[in-house]
Amino acid sequence: MEKKQLLQKLAEIVGKDDIRTSEMQLQEYSYDASLIKGKPDCIVIPESTLEVSRIARLAHENHVPLIVRGTGSSLSGGPVPVRGGIVLLTTPKMNRILEIDIPNQRVVVEPGVITLQLKNELAKYGYLYQPDPASEKTSTMGGNLAENSGGPLCFKYGVTTNHILGAELVLADGEVINVGGKSLDNPGLDLIGLVTGSEGTLAIATKIILRIMPKNEGVKTLLAIFDTVNDGANTVSEIVKSGMVPSTLEMLDNLAIKAVETFYKIGLPTDAAGLLLIELDGLNDGLDRLAGQIIEICKKNNAREVSLAKNNAERDQLWTARKGAFGATGRLRPNYLVNDGTVPRTKLPETLRRVGEIGKKYNVEIANVFHAGDGNLHPLILFDERDKDELARVHKAAFEILQVCVEVGGTITGEHGVGVEKLGALSLLFSPADLNALRKIKRVFDPDDILNPGKLILMESESSERKEVVYA
Amino acid sequence: MPDATSLIPVFADIVGADHVIADPDRLKALAIDGVVAKLMVSPKTMEETAKIMAAAYKDDLSVIPIGGGTKMALGGIPSRADILISTKRMDSYLDYDIDNLTIQVESGLTIAAIQAKLEAEGKGYFLPVDPPHSRNATVGGVVATNDNGPKRLLYGGLRDNVLGNTVVLANGDIVRAGGKVVKNVASYDLTKLFIGSLGSLGLICRTTFKIGLKPEAEASLLLPFNDLSKAGSFLQRIISSFYYPAALEVMTANTMAHRKDILKTEGNYIVAVFCEGISEAVDRQMKDLSEIGKNEGALAAVPLRGAQHRDFWIAYRDFADDWSKTDPNLILLKSNFVISKHAEMFAASEKALSDAGLRYALAAHAGTGTLYTAILPGADLESRKESIIGEIRRLTDMAVGNDGNLVVERAPFSLKKQVDVWGRIKSGFSLVRGLKERFDPTGVLNPGRYVGGI
Repeated sequence: MEKKQLLQKLAEIVGKDDIRTSEMQLQEYSYDASLIKGKPDCIVIPESTLEVSRIARLAHENHVPLIVRGTGSSLSGGPVPVRGGIVLLTTPKMNRILEIDIPNQRVVVEPGVITLQLKNELAKYGYLYQPDPASEKTSTMGGNLAENSGGPLCFKYGVTTNHILGAELVLADGEVINVGGKSLDNPGLDLIGLVTGSEGTLAIATKIILRIMPKNEGVKTLLAIFDTVNDGANTVSEIVKSGMVPSTLEMLDNLAIKAVETFYKIGLPTDAAGLLLIELDGLNDGLDRLAGQIIEICKKNNAREVSLAKNNAERDQLWTARKGAFGATGRLRPNYLVNDGTVPRTKLPETLRRVGEIGKKYNVEIANVFHAGDGNLHPLILFDERDKDELARVHKAAFEILQVCVEVGGTITGEHGVGVEKLGALSLLFSPADLNALRKIKRVFDPDDILNPGKLILMESESSERKEVVYA
Repeated sequence: MPDATSLIPVFADIVGADHVIADPDRLKALAIDGVVAKLMVSPKTMEETAKIMAAAYKDDLSVIPIGGGTKMALGGIPSRADILISTKRMDSYLDYDIDNLTIQVESGLTIAAIQAKLEAEGKGYFLPVDPPHSRNATVGGVVATNDNGPKRLLYGGLRDNVLGNTVVLANGDIVRAGGKVVKNVASYDLTKLFIGSLGSLGLICRTTFKIGLKPEAEASLLLPFNDLSKAGSFLQRIISSFYYPAALEVMTANTMAHRKDILKTEGNYIVAVFCEGISEAVDRQMKDLSEIGKNEGALAAVPLRGAQHRDFWIAYRDFADDWSKTDPNLILLKSNFVISKHAEMFAASEKALSDAGLRYALAAHAGTGTLYTAILPGADLESRKESIIGEIRRLTDMAVGNDGNLVVERAPFSLKKQVDVWGRIKSGFSLVRGLKERFDPTGVLNPGRYVGGI
C-alpha cells in the first residue's frame, strides 16, 4: 500500500486531525532519552481500544511497523521507530484512570496515564502504587509495563511486574484479549508476566490492571556520607545482613554528589566519596530502634555524618540528592550515557572498582548513581557526542562494564531494557538455545515482526549474537 | 512408534540400571488417573535429564515429570504416559549465596528440606514460600503448579520470589531463564512462563529463589467467630489497614478436625492471623488485632507462639491431605477471585454445598482471594456424583463472576472425566496453544494434563 493510501486508511480510523506527518513532528518522535534515533512515517493518536485494534490490523495487513510511545523517557531506544512505521501516541487521548477499586486494591488505567499522576490520585485514598521509577513525573504506565521499570523502592516492593496483574491487549493482528485480571493466580500460562517488560514487541496494552497498597503508618529517611564508596557499600551489605528490609538503599559517588551540589546547593560535602540514602517503612512501632541500628552500622563503617529526617520537608530534602542526580550529572557534559547492569549485592565493591578502572582505561569520566540494595548500577558515562573518538571510547567502556556485570553473576540491564542498545550484549548472557527460546515467544505473538521491530531481540539470529552495544 | 521399554538400555546407560524402573507393579502405584506409564527414569543431573528427553523426543515418547508426587491428581487425564521422569535424585544446592539472599537449587529438593537447612544457617534464613503438602512438595512441583500458601499475602507468590528457572525443553535443549538478581529485564521474562506451566513447556531442573532472613519475631492469633459476616468484616478491615500480617485466613470449624491437638478453639469459623517482622510491630499487631477482632464479634482472641504457632500453620496448610486420609474420594477445589469477595465466596460455597446435602471443609486465604473447598463425599461417591458436578459448575460460575476461576485440584477419576478441571477457558487461549506448539511441537510433554487439554 502506498503511504498516501495508508494515511487515508488511518484517517478513516482516527480522523485526520489525529494524524501527524509534518517533518518537524516526525523529528520530534524520532528519539527517546537514549541516543538512539529513527524517524517514523507518521504519528497517530488513538482514543480507544477499538481504534488501536483497527490500526494494528491495518499495520499487520500492510507489514508496516507499529510502535507505541508514551512520553519517550525510555533509556534504551524502546519507542524509537528504527525501522520507520506508525507511532501511536498514548498520552493525548488514552490517559484516563478508568477505575480505582479500593476494596479490591486494584486500579485500571489506560497506557497514557503518567505514573506520578496516578500516585497523586491514589494518595487521596491513602493508597500507593509502589514502583517509583526515577522518571515518574513524565513516564507513563504503558511505558512502565513495556519496560518493567524499577526504581528506588524495588528493594522491598519489587519491580513493575510484581504490581501488574492483568491487561487488555491488542495483539499484532488486531485481536483484543484480556490476560490476568484483578484476582491473583489465574490458572494457565502467565501471559501478563510475559508481556510485562516485552518492550512493546508482543502486544499493545490498552488497559492495565495494577495492584495498590494501603499507605504505611510510618517512614524514616536517613542520609549518610562516606569518605570511601566501599564504606557505603559495606554499610548496605551489613544493613541487609542484619535482617532489616529497608524500602530504599540508594548510593551516589563523588562525581554525582558534586554535580548535585553544583546545581541544587543543598549543602552536600563535595569532597565526600559516597552518599547513601536509606528509607524504612512499616508500623511506627520499632522504626526508631531500627533507625538507631542503621545509624550505628553507618558509624561503624566510618560514616562521616548521618542525618535522620525529622519531618516531611526534611525527607524531601534528603531525597533531592537522589532524585536530582541523573539530571545534575548529565549537565556536567553535553551528553551522558546511563549504564544499567545489575550485580549480586556483595559484588558491588568489586564491580565499582572495576568500573573505575574501565573509566581510566578509556579516559572517560564516569559518575555512579545506584540502587545499592538490589545491586543495580547506573554508571553515567559523560562525553560530547561531537567528539567521535571519545564516543568510540564510551562505547567500549560501556560494553566492558556490562561484561563485568555478567562475569560477577549479574545481568546487562536491571530496569532500562534491552531496546536497541543492548541487542549486541544479549549473547553475553544467553546461549544460542536461550536466544532461540526467546525468539519462540516473539514468533507466537507477532510472527510477522510488526510490533516494535528491531528491539529486545532480533529475529535474524546473527544480529543478536553480535557482541557490542549500540548507543547511537 | 517404538515402545518406551525399547529405550531401557539407552536410559540405563545414561542414569544407571538401578534408576530405570520398568516393573509394572511399581508403576501401577504411580498411575495418574488410572494411566500407567511404561517406565520411570530418575536422572541425577540436568544433563542426564536432557539426554533422556532428547532420546524420548526422537522416538516420540511422552514425558511426565514427577517430584514428591503430591500433585499428580492435578490436571486433566493424561492422553498418554510413556516415561515418568522423577526429579527426586536432582537434590543439590547449586548456588547457595546466603549473603546475597538468593539460592539456586535443583528441582527435586523438597521445600521442607530447604527450609530446614536455611533455618540452621547463621542467624536463620527462610524461603518465602509456604505451599501445601508441606513435607513432600518439591521445588519443581511447587513452581510448575504455582502452588502458593497463606504467606503470599506479605511475601508475594512464586512469580514474585522465583528469579530464574533452568529447564530442559522437549527436544533436550537446556534453556536458562532469568538469573540471580532481583532486577533483570534482559529480554522476555521467560522465568514466569514456566511458573504454573505444569511441565507442559519444559521440565524445570533448577530454580533460583529469593530468600529472607528470619524475622525477629513471629506469632499468630486465632479468632473464633460464630457469625461468618462478622469474620468477613473483621478480615476486610485488616486488609484495608496499614497492619501487615503475613497471612489472613478463615476456615470452617471442621477444617482442621484431624488436628484437635493443635486447634482447640470453639466457634463456627476460625480466623487465623500470622504476624511476623520486627518484635515491636508483631506485639502491636497481636494486641491491636485482638482488640479489633473482639470489637468485630470474635468470641476470643487466642495467641499462639513458639512450637504451637509453627505446628498450627503446617497443619493448616495440610488440611486437605489430612482429610484425604479419612476420605479418599475427597474433591479439592481451589478458586480465585477479587479479594473483597472472600466472605461472599465463602458463604455462597457453604450454602451451595449444604443445600446439596454435601459434607465439606473450607479454608480461604482472605487477603489474597483464594478459597479451598474440600468436598467430602465419603464412600458413596456414585450417588452424589451428579450433585457434586453441579456444585463444581456453580462454584466455577461464581468465581468467574468475581473475575477469577476455579481449578479442581483433585478428584476421583470417575468424576474428573465429567468436568473441566481447569475451570473456564479465557481469552488469549490461542496464545497458550501457540506457545505450547512452539515449545513442544510434537506434544510429548505432559500431554492432555494442562489447561485446555494441551
